[in-house]
This record gives sequence, C-alpha cells and structure tokens, in this order.
Amino acid sequence: MPAPTPPAERLLNLVIALVNTGRRMTKEQVRRSVAGYADAVSDEAFERMFERDKDTLRELGVPVVTVTGAAHGDDVGYRVDLEAWSLPPLELTPAELGVLGLAAQLWQDQALRTDTDRALTKLRAVGEGPERPDVLAGLVPRVRPGGAALAPLVDAVHGRQVVQFAYRAASTGELRTRTVEPWHLLSRRGGWLLIGRDRDRDAPRSFRLTRLEGPVRRLGAPGAFVPPSRAEHEASLARWGEPPERRAVLAVLPERAPALRARAVPDAGETDAALPGRGSDGRDVLVVPYRSSRELAEEVVGHGAAVLVLDPPELRLAVLRRLRAAAALDAAAAGRGDGRG
Amino acid sequence: MAERTGERLLRLLGMVAYLDGRSGVPVEDLAEQFGVTTAQVLQDIDTLWVTGTPGYFPHDLIDFDADSYERGVVRLTESRGMTRPLRLGAREATVLLTALRALASSLGPGLDPERAAVLASATAKLTAATGDAAADAALDVRIDLPGRPPVVAAVERALLERRRLHLRYVDTAEVETERDVDPQRLETGDGHAYLRAWCHLVAGERTFRLDRVLDAVVLDTPAEDHAVPAVADPFRPSEGDVVTVHLRSRARWVAEETPTEDVRTLEDGSFELDVRVQHPAWLQRLLLSVADDVLAVRPPGAAVAAAGVARDALEAYAGLGLDDVPPGDGRAGTGGLG
Repeated sequence: MPAPTPPAERLLNLVIALVNTGRRMTKEQVRRSVAGYADAVSDEAFERMFERDKDTLRELGVPVVTVTGAAHGDDVGYRVDLEAWSLPPLELTPAELGVLGLAAQLWQDQALRTDTDRALTKLRAVGEGPERPDVLAGLVPRVRPGGAALAPLVDAVHGRQVVQFAYRAASTGELRTRTVEPWHLLSRRGGWLLIGRDRDRDAPRSFRLTRLEGPVRRLGAPGAFVPPSRAEHEASLARWGEPPERRAVLAVLPERAPALRARAVPDAGETDAALPGRGSDGRDVLVVPYRSSRELAEEVVGHGAAVLVLDPPELRLAVLRRLRAAAALDAAAAGRGDGRG
Repeated sequence: MAERTGERLLRLLGMVAYLDGRSGVPVEDLAEQFGVTTAQVLQDIDTLWVTGTPGYFPHDLIDFDADSYERGVVRLTESRGMTRPLRLGAREATVLLTALRALASSLGPGLDPERAAVLASATAKLTAATGDAAADAALDVRIDLPGRPPVVAAVERALLERRRLHLRYVDTAEVETERDVDPQRLETGDGHAYLRAWCHLVAGERTFRLDRVLDAVVLDTPAEDHAVPAVADPFRPSEGDVVTVHLRSRARWVAEETPTEDVRTLEDGSFELDVRVQHPAWLQRLLLSVADDVLAVRPPGAAVAAAGVARDALEAYAGLGLDDVPPGDGRAGTGGLG
C-alpha cells in the first residue's frame, strides 16, 4: 500500500481540481478522482476529511462555493470562484514588504499573528524581491494582547453580528451575560475596549476585554443590526480620544523627581493662580503639562512628600484621596481592609 | 511539530503565482522570498511537481523545467491555472492594515522622508488591494511612546542610523546616571516604551524606560553589534521577592499595566496579583498610586512603608494649608465602563 498523501498535497489537489472543474464537483467526484481522498478508509472518514478540508480552505481565504444541481435540489457540488480568488493587481518592493513584516509583529495574540503571517505569505507572491527588514530596524512597537475574545470580536464587528458574553461589571464585580451589537474595537493605553450598543440597556456602552470571561458567542446572521449613526459613533469614541493638554503647578523638593523636572515647561503665568504654598519650604515650583489626571496623580503620589500639587485643585484632590487611602494601608496590610470592599 | 498544513498550502500557492511569468528563480532566492530554508523549497517543489488536475497524467500536473532544476534554478512550465495570487481574507487585511496605521501614527513624526514614503506607499497599496476591508475601521490601535518628544526622536534616529547614544537616565530608585549605549530595539509594552541597549557603563545589556530618559544625544560613533542572548520577556523581572497585592475589581487595569507572575480572580470579582519586586521603590509607588483599591498586601512590609510615606505627604500638604477635603468626595473612577 502506498504511503498516505500529505495533507498539504491533498488540499492543493483539491484546490486545483475545484479551480479547473467545468462547472462543479460533487463530493463523490472528489472522492473518486482527487488524489489523496482514496486514503479515506470509510465513508465517515471521507466525510470528515472532506468537511475539514473545505473548512480549512475557506479559513485560508479560498472562495469555495456551493453549487446546487439543477435537476436535484439536494445534489450539492463545489467549485472555486475564480472571480473572488484574486488579489487585485499589486506589486510590492522589498522595502514595502519589510515594513509589512514589521507591522505584522505588532500583534501578540496568536490568532492575529496567524492572520498576519498568512497575509504576508500571500503578499510575498507579489513581492519584487525578498523583504528588506532594515527599513525600520529596531523599532518594534507592540500592542498588548487582547486575549481569546479579540479575534472573534473582530469578525463580529466586520460581519455586524450580535455577540453575547459573560462580563464582570467594573463597579460591583458581578458577572452577567451581556448582549451587544459590536461597533468598534479600540486599543488604548488603558487596554482593549469593545464599543457597541448594549441590547438590554438599549444604549452605547464600552467593555474592557480583560473583563470578558469565557467564550464570545455570535448570535444570528451577519449584517443583523443597523450600524451606529455617525453622531452616535463619534459620541461613543469621544470619551476615548486624547484629552486636551493642561498644566499642573507642582512644588518639588530640590533635586527630587528628575523625570518630572525634565518635562517642566517655562512658567506662562500659571504659578500666579497657585499662590498658596508658593515658594514655601525651599521647594522648586514647576509647571508640568499633562493630559490624563489619573496618570499624573498616580505619578505624583508615588513621590510622596517630595512632590506636592499646588494647582489645579482637582488634581490635588485626586492626589489627596489616594494619600488618605494609602495612609490606612498598614491596616489593610494587616488584613483588616476586607471590610472596605 | 511539523508546519501547519494551511500555512504550507498558502506558500505552495504563493510560489506558483510568484514563479509564473519569471524566467527562472534560483532555489536560494525562492527560499529568501518566502522566508524558508532551501531544503524546504526543494520539498515544496517536489510536492508541487506531483499535484495537478484529476487524471494526474503528465500533462495534468504542475511542471517545472527539469534541466534548470538540475542547476538549482526553478522555472515553472505548467501552472494548471494557478497563477493568480490569492486575495487576503477580511481579518487578515484588517489586522495588517490596522498595524500599518498604528505604526504610521506612532513613528510617523520621527521618520525621515524616505522611510515615511515607504510606509505610506505600503499602506496605500494594501488599502487599494483590500477594498472593503480597508474601508471598515473595525480596529483602532493607538501606540503611545511616552517620553519627551526630543528623546523619542533621538532614540529613533540612533536606531535607524545605527549610532551610539549618550543618555541621561534616572532609575526606579531616582538615581541619575549618564551613560553611552548602543541601541538595539525600541519596544512598547505595558503602557510604557522601553529602549533595549548595550550599556557601556556596565558592559551589559540593559532596558531603559523611555519616560525616565532625561536627555538623549545621538553621537557620531557608530553603534556596535553585541551578541546577547534573547530575553523571553524583557519587561518581566527575573529576580526579587514575590509580593501578593489584593485589589478591588475596578482596579483590573493594574493587571494589564503591570508585569505580573500570576493573577487570580476571586469569587467577589476582586483579584490578587503576584508581582516580582526588583526595587522596593517600585512596589511602594505602585501601592501609593492604587491605594484606593488595595484590600491587602502580603507580606505587609511594603504597605506599612507606603502608609508612612503617605502620612508624611499629608502632613506636608497640611503644612501649606492645602489638605482640603472635597465637597462630596469627588471620586473619579476609571470612567463609567459598561
């Protein structure tokens, strides 16, 4: 008995057969005539093999279409739709391929890396030469992993398909099933977010991907919901845009917090508004631009008494709130903090 | 484990499309084009040679010029209609285009015109070639390079021009140093950007957080290559004690932005982080910044120290008459998440 045909060889034979078939091939024709399928030892084994191969081809982007026979409704055949097969005319220089190769490394999620690797293999076929990796040498941006939910959510956003998942609420920690029309996926400094319409609340909501638990289920057919209006879409994104730059006035002990000092800008009158505490106990008064109050408050609080916020008051309050909580940390550390949750 | 079937099939199809219309491609060039070994190319050609349309008589098969092949040159003579390059799938196109856009927005301002043009033309070609997928902005990725713009620009320029950098740097313990480094890579990770470089001050490879680089000057000296072992995850410290921090559910983002050894979610949604502490100052800063949401710390040493620091700071505010209590608390959470 000859050695079994390697799967890649069988799949290639199937693709070539389905491309070259006059009209269509039935399963039986595939089994009888395409090299590799004679290896199947039983009807069930053949069925499994053929179904899996068909799925693999579709997953790889090969447009396998179903053609129903005119005579019998249940007589199904297959062919590859060459119209839908091709990449539009395209040539890539080695430098362009190199940039694409670098871009592919942005993702850390295995599912998305598989996508970019496949895309690159396809694009190498239209490359004028091997990729030049040196164009952006050394610059390796990476995006934090989005987890197992990311790939199915990308598909759902694309297909406008409603999704359902278990979600742990930020405020209460409660785990509930949410049904969402997915609009958009964002990666920001704070992590991955899904934005969409929450069907139960009938309102736009944001969901952190790290709070999704278990699998993402896709409900119903693709194209099943009305995409957000332009206004809705922009309103939902506005919260995650970059906040405007503001300026903080900080009183810093001499020679402390050099990283903050490096970001200081010349005083443009900001310190006038911060009269209380100005120039006291030998501190330097710095003007530091910032966008996120949360991030600056966290940074400042980390310096303890070495850096005090003079202005604006809301930033100072954010720091004071953290300091008051921190002042009770020794109690929490002793395990008496659980009552606060 | 052997290569996955799908990946190999795509390469086999890609090779036929690539070879079509070319008069002959040396095996070595084909290997380089598809990023595989020459042995793999030979195996691939052997497979292609026996595949074709049903019947599988000689004229049904994909064929190559045998004489050229003897001389190590691959020349396709029969393609069985498989000459067209395969389109990208919807998700393939989306993730690649999103990555390109993110690259352009994060690197764009620092790139010289020649490199910027390559990035722009690659994006334009891919956009044109993927149509609908390109128009559909399902994914929006923003990469921050926290750090002073002149520092970021100097680091990028040194990497691209392969030149040595002079850095003024302040470490976690607030110690300021000056050093010459040969930059290797600029990486973004958990909300920070890091420069991996060979440091001449310590004669070893070091990671520098970009927002702690006070000044960076590109030197005329070319950067040298240093053989260094690959690090699995340069952001994760490998030594130091492990401390467990128990946090409220809403502080989940801490788990995303902090290199952790382990994260455990408890019944009530609160969670425990195990972090490896290389610098006590780092843990103290973390505890102060998320103090609102800390439920417990084990062992408690760092929490006790942080509480002391916080009380000193509160006293300093009180001394300036700036320890006002907000009307109605003014609690600002992470922002009304669903």
